[in-house]
Amino acid sequence: MRRYSAPFLFLLPATLLIALFFVAPVVTTLYLSLTDLSTITFRHPRWIGLGNYASLLRDPFIGKILVNTAHYVGFTLLFNVGMGLLLALLSSSVRERYGNQIRAVWLLPRILPPVVYVVIWQGLSREAPYGLISDLAGTTRNWITARPWDVIILANGLVGASFGMLLFTAAIRAIPPDLFYASAVDGATTVQTVRRVVLPLLRWPILFVTAYQTLSLLTSFEYILLLTNGGPGFYTTTVWSLHAYQLALSNYFGNVQFGLGAAMAALLVVIGVVVTSFYLRLFNFRALVGEPKVEVN
Amino acid sequence: MKLSSRIMATVAAILALVLPPVQAQQRITTIKAWTIGPDAPSVTRFSNLQAAAERLNAGLRREGVQYQIKVEGSFDTTNWDQFLRRVLLAFQGGDPPDIVQASAALSTTWAAAGFLAPLDDYVPKYKPFSDIVPALWTSVKYKGKTWGIPQDTEARPLYFNKVLLKKLGWTDQQIADLPKRIASGTFIWDDVMAVAKDARQKNIVEPGKGYYHRPFNGPDFMQWYRSFGGRDYDAQTGKLVFNKAAALRYYRWLRAGVDAGIIERDRINNDWNRFHQPITDGDGKVLFWSGGTWNWAEWSQQWVAARGGEAWLFDHFGYAPHPAYVKGGKPITLSNPQAYMVAAASKNKDVAIRLLADTMVPDLDAKHAIGSGHLPVLNRTVALVNNRFLKEVSYLLTYTTFQPPHPDLPKWQDAFFRGVSAVESGSATPEQAVDVVSGEMQRTLSDQVTVE
Repeated sequence: MRRYSAPFLFLLPATLLIALFFVAPVVTTLYLSLTDLSTITFRHPRWIGLGNYASLLRDPFIGKILVNTAHYVGFTLLFNVGMGLLLALLSSSVRERYGNQIRAVWLLPRILPPVVYVVIWQGLSREAPYGLISDLAGTTRNWITARPWDVIILANGLVGASFGMLLFTAAIRAIPPDLFYASAVDGATTVQTVRRVVLPLLRWPILFVTAYQTLSLLTSFEYILLLTNGGPGFYTTTVWSLHAYQLALSNYFGNVQFGLGAAMAALLVVIGVVVTSFYLRLFNFRALVGEPKVEVN
Repeated sequence: MKLSSRIMATVAAILALVLPPVQAQQRITTIKAWTIGPDAPSVTRFSNLQAAAERLNAGLRREGVQYQIKVEGSFDTTNWDQFLRRVLLAFQGGDPPDIVQASAALSTTWAAAGFLAPLDDYVPKYKPFSDIVPALWTSVKYKGKTWGIPQDTEARPLYFNKVLLKKLGWTDQQIADLPKRIASGTFIWDDVMAVAKDARQKNIVEPGKGYYHRPFNGPDFMQWYRSFGGRDYDAQTGKLVFNKAAALRYYRWLRAGVDAGIIERDRINNDWNRFHQPITDGDGKVLFWSGGTWNWAEWSQQWVAARGGEAWLFDHFGYAPHPAYVKGGKPITLSNPQAYMVAAASKNKDVAIRLLADTMVPDLDAKHAIGSGHLPVLNRTVALVNNRFLKEVSYLLTYTTFQPPHPDLPKWQDAFFRGVSAVESGSATPEQAVDVVSGEMQRTLSDQVTVE
């Protein structure tokens, strides 16, 4: 028994934190999702078993919201990872001084508070003569309501790309220069070097960025909330997490349904787990955590 | 004497010098009040409470009573959604403000949840409350009890732009007669559409600017549903009602408006600026629009303040009740009175009510009405107010209706609003939308709604 006391002691703080801030909320959410807790029933919530889940199944709009979620996560992810990769490659292929500056500029939207960032977008996308985009495009329209998805994906992607950019840059820097010399000696073009040398060595950070961003996009809705609040019109840009938020915490008339919102949140966890296991298979996670094939000193 | 006891004696001596004697100490009761516009001119909903507290305190001082009231709290100008979330979390956390001001209709929901204190024992004790317009008390009644003190009321007119009507060839007399024609049922929703279409064809209004309504959910949609002949509540059964035929008429009217280019496809766009800006831009770019009397104060103090304020508004805008859908039908408006409510968890209910009684006095009532474009709630105030706009819109109250007292009303309203957004954005035909809405109501309200 004493043999285990030291490891146990070291694991204790982290275990406590995880239990308190991860396991407990999950259990609470699951419990709430089995009750009819709402504004009206707050004092006396009733146990309704799987009633909320059944209600979600019967909701004719859930399909549309799922499709919206896939659309949002998919396209934003493509932009995030693709743009992050492109920026990392470009900024590490120029002189370090310029590379650093490019990266610094791309970090600006990330350090802006989301509300300020969205206000800038709203200003840019108004009708002429108020909006810059209308002025440049020569057609006056409100671009947020005219092209809601494009604006949402761009606004999200411009912030999100900097995350991949930083990680990929660090990973590219960690590639031993010998490999670049070797490929140059073999007569490889830049594209070939990127494709055959850099990208294979970036699999691990790409997996990480993709999985991490997917999970955070599934649960993030602040830019959609601020830009369109799920509109314009009929559930046009309502995603799963926004819908859960609107059910559980936000209603014009103050009637919120915590139970139903909790059920949606619980289902989101399931979706997250499924998607992550898919990624692990896709990127062959076992091989990634095996013995490294490149020696780094 | 030990060092420690010497220190203690010194501290005690200092404290005795600094602190006033116990008898002279004043008792201060702090009343926490949360209020909301969200329109900025309605700040008197909060400042009137403070003014009343000052008067109350002055009175107490004169009487030599060592007792003072302090009002703390906030006036919210963000939006309802955020404010109500804050209130709800405070109710649930067990530490709510003593006084909450919100739509009277919410008193039903919150009373059903057990968050509010019934006020029936207190109301008869204070004379100012007996001067409140009797009809307004019905808006704060639920299950035979009173859950709030009416704070203000308003009407929701159909506004029109006189300058644009003139460009269309209307004479001053015709424009002046429009409210009367709407009131008598000779100018109906189809005429609104016809005039707007005419203006669009002659290029007097830009696409989508023939008719505007609010950019997101709100009680107004129930008003329009009613103006198309719908009923939403059965007082006998106490259940909500959804009338498919009336909803279909309204949805078809909206769809026809979008198709004719007089209503914007993305009118539900969540942005009040995109409502007020075109309405007040230049000479005004929108021909007809549905608003509230409080918008008048917003326009005059914020949007056209630099161009003459209220004088500009009288020159450019006219107002009428909302029309009927058949010739000879009754016009309509909807009032969503505000009310001060007292939390069940408040430890100072008596003081809170006393403060409210001092707030519901004619001069403060008048100050709020004039400053914010709302209608006064006290009978005596009406005689006191000499304000052209309020005088000209107060007749609208003869056509007014209220939201029904049902705790699950928000679910009805959410579903109906979804239908509007589906029809306008083209996601569903009016017929499909009616089916979707009735299905949604039956799903979320089950036996609490009758679909007819």
